[in-house]
Amino acid sequence: MADIVIPEGLWDAGVTPEGVVSNWFYADGATVSKGDVVAEIMVEKSTFDIEAPTDGVLRRTIAKDGVIRPGSVIGAVDAG
Amino acid sequence: MSSNRILPVSRAISEAIAQEMRADPSVFVMGEDIGTYGGIFGATAGLLDEFGETRVRDTPISETGFIGAGVGAAMSGMRPIVELMFVDFFGVCMDSIYNLAAKNTYFSGGNCKVPMVIMTATGGGYSDAGQHSQTLHGTFAHLPGLKVVAPSNAYDAKGLMTTAIRDDSPVIFMFHKGLQGLAWMASPDAAATVVPEDAYEIPFGQAKVVREGKDVTIITLSMMVHRALAAAEALAKEGIDAEVVDLRTIVPLDRETILISVAKTGRLIVVDEDYKSFGVTGEIIATVAEHDPSCLKAPPRRLAVPDVPIPYSRVMERFVLPNADTIADAARATLR
Repeated sequence: MADIVIPEGLWDAGVTPEGVVSNWFYADGATVSKGDVVAEIMVEKSTFDIEAPTDGVLRRTIAKDGVIRPGSVIGAVDAG
Repeated sequence: MSSNRILPVSRAISEAIAQEMRADPSVFVMGEDIGTYGGIFGATAGLLDEFGETRVRDTPISETGFIGAGVGAAMSGMRPIVELMFVDFFGVCMDSIYNLAAKNTYFSGGNCKVPMVIMTATGGGYSDAGQHSQTLHGTFAHLPGLKVVAPSNAYDAKGLMTTAIRDDSPVIFMFHKGLQGLAWMASPDAAATVVPEDAYEIPFGQAKVVREGKDVTIITLSMMVHRALAAAEALAKEGIDAEVVDLRTIVPLDRETILISVAKTGRLIVVDEDYKSFGVTGEIIATVAEHDPSCLKAPPRRLAVPDVPIPYSRVMERFVLPNADTIADAARATLR
């Protein structure tokens, strides 16, 4: 099980502490490959792609529109 | 190749463009804020990084100039995709669109092709006032020489964009802002769909029955497909079985699918987020009337924007746009 973590340093969290998950690109339980863009987050009006950390089954824990910060775990990939 | 990706419409469009650009060096993109910004509605996101400034060209605010340049490029062997940021801005560049792009194939006796896509954002519902909220489906569909496409979901958007780029005629590709799946503008969940990674075409002129039913036909397109499906769900709880047809392309218009559906149900509602008079809704009803008016068991009804500019006021805008409640009411009325 590899967590999907919002990386530190994508944006200036001192200015804007929080963002949201703006899109999930795979259903919960979908099979994904390492490097697939699985989610998109939005901070102010900028978006960032979030990739799968490994091959496996996607488990989504933060829903679309859920709040995130740098370091937040939004889901995991279960390598099985 | 995983085929379980669920893409929003904006990413489906940009993927179609990227794949055609990889396959064909004559394809390029031009428009306002389509480079670094990726298009204000995300339809060209990521293209500048992959293809560079020669093939992904930011333009000044000069639609007359750059759409005219697109026509010239198309007639010189290129396959330009030119973004008109909002369809509402067509006023300044219409000569390039309807006297040049649409007519030059005819004026040259078929010797010149104009393989150009004019991609443009349509639609309201988010309080952006009358010069940023129109669809103008009928305005463009009325003019001979243009093909007009207006998808309701990501799967169709990718396939129709691929077909548009490969087509030798000018195509107006109308995407609805509220379907793009942008982080900052709400979108119906069903607009984002599973999108195959490989390139594929969806032929023009093939409407899709997106919900089968036997009691009443609802013909619609673009955003209103989602409103019609919501209406059909509500009607189903009352025992009314509505069929919903997504036109997908206005020109060419799939009259056969319309006629088959109306022959089955005998009742017709047409829903369009465009002005009511002289438009798509009237054309569809005329199609049925010219073919066989006796197939109608009740007068057909149309839901569209009453003939006023779309209001900025949220309350007034909601009043003029068709929605699931007004569509369901119209369906009930035809069954009474």
